[in-house]
Amino acid sequence: MTDRESIRNFSIIAHIDHGKSTLADRLLQECNAVSEREMTDQLLDNMELEKERGITIKARAVLLEYDADDGKRYRLNLIDTPGHVDFNYEVSRSLAACEGAVLVVDASQGIEAQTLANTYLALENDLEVLPVINKIDLPSARPQEVKEEIENIIGLPAMDAPEVSAKAGINIRAVLEDVVHNVPAPRAGTGDGPRALIFDSQYDPYRGVIVLVRVFDGEFRPGMKIRMMATGAEFQIVEVGYLRSLSFEPCESLGEGEVGYITASIKTVTETRVGDTVTDAVNPASEPLQGYRKVQPMVFSGLYPADGKKYPDLRDALEKLQLNDASLTYEPESSAALGFGFRCGFLGLLHLEIIQERLEREYNLDLITTAPSVVYRIKKTSGEELWIDNPLNFPNPGEIEYAEEPIVKANIITPTEYVGNLMDLCQDRRGVFKDMKYLDSNRVELHYELPLNEIIYDFFDALKSRTRGYASLDYELLGYQKSNLVKLDVLLNGDIVDALSFIVHSEKAYARARKIVEKLKENIPRQLFEIPVQAAVGGKIIARETVKAMRKDVLAKCYGGDITRKKKLLEKQKEGKKRMRSLGTVEVPQEAFMAVLRLDED
Amino acid sequence: MESLGIYIHIPFCKRKCDYCDFYSICDLSDKLMDRYLKALISQIDEYFQYGKPSVDTVYLGGGTPSVFGGKRIEKLLKELSARVQLARNAEITVEVNPESVDEKLLKRLKAAGVNRISMGVQSADDNELKALGRLHDWKGAVSAYELTRRYFDNISLDLIYGLENQTLDGWMDSLRKVMALSPDHISCYCLKVEEGTPLALRGCVQPDDDVQADMYLCAVETLEAGGYRQYEISNFARNGRVSRHNSKYWDLSPYLGLGCAAHSLYGGQRFSFVKDIKAYIEGVEGRKPVAEDVDELAYINRSGEYVMLKLRTVEGIDPAVFERRFEVPFGPYEDILRKYIASGHAAVTDGHYHLTPTGFLVSNVIIGDLVNSVCGAE
Repeated sequence: MTDRESIRNFSIIAHIDHGKSTLADRLLQECNAVSEREMTDQLLDNMELEKERGITIKARAVLLEYDADDGKRYRLNLIDTPGHVDFNYEVSRSLAACEGAVLVVDASQGIEAQTLANTYLALENDLEVLPVINKIDLPSARPQEVKEEIENIIGLPAMDAPEVSAKAGINIRAVLEDVVHNVPAPRAGTGDGPRALIFDSQYDPYRGVIVLVRVFDGEFRPGMKIRMMATGAEFQIVEVGYLRSLSFEPCESLGEGEVGYITASIKTVTETRVGDTVTDAVNPASEPLQGYRKVQPMVFSGLYPADGKKYPDLRDALEKLQLNDASLTYEPESSAALGFGFRCGFLGLLHLEIIQERLEREYNLDLITTAPSVVYRIKKTSGEELWIDNPLNFPNPGEIEYAEEPIVKANIITPTEYVGNLMDLCQDRRGVFKDMKYLDSNRVELHYELPLNEIIYDFFDALKSRTRGYASLDYELLGYQKSNLVKLDVLLNGDIVDALSFIVHSEKAYARARKIVEKLKENIPRQLFEIPVQAAVGGKIIARETVKAMRKDVLAKCYGGDITRKKKLLEKQKEGKKRMRSLGTVEVPQEAFMAVLRLDED
Repeated sequence: MESLGIYIHIPFCKRKCDYCDFYSICDLSDKLMDRYLKALISQIDEYFQYGKPSVDTVYLGGGTPSVFGGKRIEKLLKELSARVQLARNAEITVEVNPESVDEKLLKRLKAAGVNRISMGVQSADDNELKALGRLHDWKGAVSAYELTRRYFDNISLDLIYGLENQTLDGWMDSLRKVMALSPDHISCYCLKVEEGTPLALRGCVQPDDDVQADMYLCAVETLEAGGYRQYEISNFARNGRVSRHNSKYWDLSPYLGLGCAAHSLYGGQRFSFVKDIKAYIEGVEGRKPVAEDVDELAYINRSGEYVMLKLRTVEGIDPAVFERRFEVPFGPYEDILRKYIASGHAAVTDGHYHLTPTGFLVSNVIIGDLVNSVCGAE
């Protein structure tokens, strides 16, 4: 156990690309937590995908020993947080495990949407927020102005903020000194039963779930019987220890204020939910720590193996991913068009993309994804209330008393010259303007209420393309609102293709229908028969295109009895057929299903 | 026993046409040609040393057999007829190009027993001929044809359509001019721009598929109206004068291909000889093997091959013949063909299943569907 006064628990928060992970690397180096040899870029981002995309997907923590200028040795727990709005809840739990947060702001870009969102999250959790100005080695750096921005917009004292370059290794020690002197030591426990906050858990095939915790009250040691206060699951502790940069370091006990891990032969992460409180099963605390909520998936999509035979592989892969990701949900579904697959729930579109990419890369699966959907609330005329996350279950219009859709509060920060573009965009996406604030003479914060289903397709891409990448976005769920929703069906050769149906606001139905039939026409190769491609709402056709019949595909000559060409052609056709789905008499390539997901890329 | 067809590949050309990706060379030296002739003759010796099979078709293709010279062709056919039993009514075809035809050559061919000439006319439009890299013009083609007519009563003319900048009218004009010459047989091939050919490298743009399809359908109609009955995707004959040799390919009848790059279906096996003329000559001279296995797709058996090839013909497939020959049911094919019959791509005439002209146009798709569904099912 460690002297509580020498502990400092802190996170690093930042807008994406402002240098959070690079700064974390430097802090580790400064504390000799890793040797030169072990140093790889973005050490805390283990997953290949995290490094590639430059985002942190999972929280991680590391214990650093720092010999400060005052001659004392401090034990610093750096808790890395996921850097995306999809993972907001995880971020808030990581922050709740800390007393302080280092707020990294890019010296040339200044405050962005996630800077604000993360700072507010940190302040809500009563954290001491320490601004750090990063990338001061860049020619475009304007540290003084950025500091003023921080003071004016956020209201944090920033004049003494360290000016650093994580990349060039400039002034790193100043950050650590700042942490030691300005982040408070953990408070003493309340004297209630033992309590520890779960801020992450990861699955290890040999040890079961490794639970990352921050201890607030009492202590935890091997042999102790513990209970997860929200799920009620009970286990016996096998091992506790500290999180080192490259290893787990077992110890006798974890005490108040400490950050570490617990293993207890836990089989699945669903029993160790982020935000839950671990307590002594025999002498439980009277109340859990505040702030737990069960994370609900916001976006749903059907995942199907391109090759139907791979269905069991997909199931195994999802099972494995879920071991490490309690926010991923899945249940079997079947589609007339695509066969057997899974309806999966995600925190957001990024989460969906990450899972999809991991399934394809790590598990070698070729997937067809159906259009993402949010969860709608339907009140039927019978009085029954339904939650619909799958267009297939959308009731007939006659049975619907009213429908509601989720609305988010979106904050957008943009250079002033793009305000017009963004207002058009938000308008187009059924946004309701709330207010607009000038952050300084060049930048504006826009505040809109937008339906979530307008955001999940491609809003972020549209935002970036209309502002040359300068705007930043953050949003949070606000609630549900009545809305005039309809189900749009797509028909090929007169038959509804269930996998292509989606729910849309009635005013948008026509435009979407047009685009979808056009995209399908582009992506369905000509076949021997003319194929009508139609979109319909409630049985009424509102858009139509035609894939013309193929008229010529012939080998004119079979020269000198050489039939190898013909055979090669047959083999090629056989291969090509594997990429196709037969829907009745129509052959639809996988790309067609994907293309309709990217309707607005023009 | 079934009579054999013999194909002899003559890989020499004065100039390689811009669309051609068959094997040919432009070294026309006597030395090389003589060596090649010798190699061909020793192959004939080798293959027929143990018996004289009956042969009812011989086809000299190329390349341009006419540049091989009448003398060599005469010698070749003499050696061949001494070693096989040449049927009295055997069809003996030689391919020629208009510019290499002269009286001397024709006389020699006639004397050698040749009774059918296939001439590559390709187009009646001089600009199109130039663009194809041909060495003759239309006028030359007409006089070569008329000269040939004096010696041969069975002449086939080749045409190519779907050429760059060609219109439907332009194509029909070429076709009508060729029909006006009254050849006995006409082949109409759709241009295929093969990778790596000068045509492809120059970025040749063909009329779109719809136009090409119209060109084909109009040609079929015009030819039929003029007395040329279609008997295969690209082949039309007057008075029943079909190419008996080519028909063997579509019927899975045995044929032996001699010379470099020639393909065979012989002794129940498909094989070919090396493509390179030097390797071929040296191999034959040194009594080393020059045959290579033809890449066979394991999953397509002979009956599948038969379906693939026989559906190229207007006659099509007689299920009774099919079942007797391969001892497998035709039913699975019939089941699939039904939808193509419904859509007008196929038909049944006198119990034979066959494709219609619109079906021929998309025969790759139909044949692929049939063969891959029946043979390729795992």
